[in-house]
Amino acid sequence: MKKLIAGVMLLGASSMAFAQPGCGVGAMIWKGQSGIAPHVLAATTNGTFGNQTFGMTTGTLGCQTNEAVQSMALYMDSNIDKVARDMSRGTGENLDTLAVLLGVDAADRDTFRQVLQDNFASIFPSSDTTSGEAVDAIVAVLEKNESLSKYVAA
Amino acid sequence: MGPSFFPGPAVFWLALSLPVYAADAHTTDSLHLEPAWLTLGHYQPDTFGDGHTSQADDPDFFLSDQGKHSPKAELDATLAAIQRPGSGDHHAQCRFPARTTWLDQQLDLDLPTVPCPAYRDWTETLNTETVTLVFAASYLNSPSSMFGHTFLRLDPPQEDEETNLLLANTISYAADAAAHDSEILFAYKGIFGGYPGITTVQPYYEKIRLYSDIEHRDLWEYRLNLSQPEVDLLLAHAWEIRDHNFDYYFFDENCAYRLLALIDVARPGTDLLAEVSTHAIPSDTVRWVVDKNLVSEVYYRPSAATSVAYSLDSLTEEQQTLAAAMANGYVAPSDPELQQLSARQRASVLDATYDYVRYQSEADGWPRELAAPLSHDLLVARSGIEAAPAPETPPQPAIRDDQGHDTFRASVSAGQLAHREFTQLTLRPAYHDVLDPPAGYRPGAQLQFLRLDARYYTDNDELQLEQLIGVEIRSLSPRDQFFSPLSWQVGFGGRRTDTGDRRVLTPYLEGGAGGSWLLGQQLQAFAIATADLEIDDDLHRGYDAAPGADLGLLHQGTRFSLLAGAKTKAWIVSNQHRQDQVYIKGNWHLGRDFSLFAEFTREDHYDRYQSTWQAGIHAYF
Repeated sequence: MKKLIAGVMLLGASSMAFAQPGCGVGAMIWKGQSGIAPHVLAATTNGTFGNQTFGMTTGTLGCQTNEAVQSMALYMDSNIDKVARDMSRGTGENLDTLAVLLGVDAADRDTFRQVLQDNFASIFPSSDTTSGEAVDAIVAVLEKNESLSKYVAA
Repeated sequence: MGPSFFPGPAVFWLALSLPVYAADAHTTDSLHLEPAWLTLGHYQPDTFGDGHTSQADDPDFFLSDQGKHSPKAELDATLAAIQRPGSGDHHAQCRFPARTTWLDQQLDLDLPTVPCPAYRDWTETLNTETVTLVFAASYLNSPSSMFGHTFLRLDPPQEDEETNLLLANTISYAADAAAHDSEILFAYKGIFGGYPGITTVQPYYEKIRLYSDIEHRDLWEYRLNLSQPEVDLLLAHAWEIRDHNFDYYFFDENCAYRLLALIDVARPGTDLLAEVSTHAIPSDTVRWVVDKNLVSEVYYRPSAATSVAYSLDSLTEEQQTLAAAMANGYVAPSDPELQQLSARQRASVLDATYDYVRYQSEADGWPRELAAPLSHDLLVARSGIEAAPAPETPPQPAIRDDQGHDTFRASVSAGQLAHREFTQLTLRPAYHDVLDPPAGYRPGAQLQFLRLDARYYTDNDELQLEQLIGVEIRSLSPRDQFFSPLSWQVGFGGRRTDTGDRRVLTPYLEGGAGGSWLLGQQLQAFAIATADLEIDDDLHRGYDAAPGADLGLLHQGTRFSLLAGAKTKAWIVSNQHRQDQVYIKGNWHLGRDFSLFAEFTREDHYDRYQSTWQAGIHAYF
């Protein structure tokens, strides 16, 4: 599983370019490259959250040292709307992906889903919430939970 | 990146992982003509002469200066290069791991040990156990995707339930178009050449976002039954071609074509490329892959559009009205209309409304100032309802896209035009019209390409070209209280046109736009405003143009399809005259391979009435 996460983080959108993540810079490279036909990719989404700006930079998460949290942040940055949707429902493959990226054990999955659904309004306080802010809030929420805090420990 | 460092020599590792082929002790004399070598070099036999030419358009793909035209020179150069001692990512063994493996197996070479850190990192990162061919269903609104699209997903070992395929990587091959090129330039260069094709690797969730959320295309996932050594060889070859230019052409050397080559390399003898004649339509290529027994499992992933339509359909009529009212801002999630529902019903309405608002933001560009706060309110309200299930996912269609009728159609028919009898032969290389068997195709969508109709009139033994369609696209998508798509059509080619005293073959261009509405499960009515342009020196002023209208009904059923309506055109340039038509066309589907068809047209043109009728059979193959 670890390898897969690393794969997600390292394989950029470009033709197999490698970029090292860390303190936002790698994330910028990762995000900024694209080499596919723009007719296919140029279509931008009109998102619900964060105004589709590059949310990572506005969170404090850029220098989070926990690799799993960084992976989650990268994923959130591309999928914030779908993660929010799944979180409001307390179920869904995008929420499961967060759990996978954080390495949440099967036994803690139900708690994980429940806690995030219950705290939806504090994780996404408004429609201007950026993915970086949401990640910070998720970390804060999980830290407060006895069985989940270990997954976000720095 | 994992900290592990593979200690053994890369070649040894590759050789170990690829013990699938009998190691025939070939001599190098004939080795370069082995199908596997020709596949690895993307060599195709020359049309003239008995040589071969590679489809790779990048000198770096070859180790020999003559590599593009000489499989033998390339094989000799490769053999020499991989046996040279050395190290590093630029060594031939590292640049061409698939060739190295194959040659080693054929010749049992005693190769020097060459570590390849970049390649090793790459394969470790991709961590692939199985490969899934993903087919993104067709999408008529963009020329770049009207035939559908295919790419490969590299699935990691499914060790435990933690493995999540959204994070798996994908390999795809696409035209590398410049950002500023318009759709028309894109179509032109795509057909006639001009774009380099490039291989890209992206996480699957990016693909889902593009195809499923933005372009509203259902995805079909075909897990291939490749063994681990075959998967490794596929990746090794993907590494060889990844940064190299292969010119991209829509119809033959396209996304699907290059993937077929990868599968051919992975499992020699499959020879999928041999199936490609003039064009590789992605749905056809999926068919070939299924027919060659390469698929172990099929999974359907409905698009955001399919899902939202299904969620809205699952609501009662009152709940639908409520959802529409919330989406349009007349009712807030906190209003009593919603609060009086049970928690479960409230959850369904909120879920469907949110998905609908998201869909409209993407598809219709609803302004963010409107959509974002509304979406946020819906989600906050929804997060307060616990233990309500997520909306059901739409069921898999009974007929998959690869199970629809084949795309090549040949037809014979007999008929009469104003009491002159004829027999007609029609050939249509691709792809589908609204009267063809509908299963496996988008309802109301039509794309015909290079259709040729030839008529033989029996009264005077005359053979005539009746029409030649270049391209004809028609998209009739019904409107309802939630969705309001435009119906449109466009086409060009040559056709017989009546000049008043004779029928001459005239180049034409036609288009139209309007709306269509569902009247029943499989019945829709449409109203299209049309425009026609004909250019020919037999016309009084050399050309003629006609605004017009087409009103009709379309029924698409599994046994029977029917199109009936009335058309009017007012020719306004050369001969000012009206052309009015009523028409009815029916197809009776005999399974997937044949349809019987009949059509009747009654026309009022130049103040005279004329009838045409015709009946015959379509064969799909």
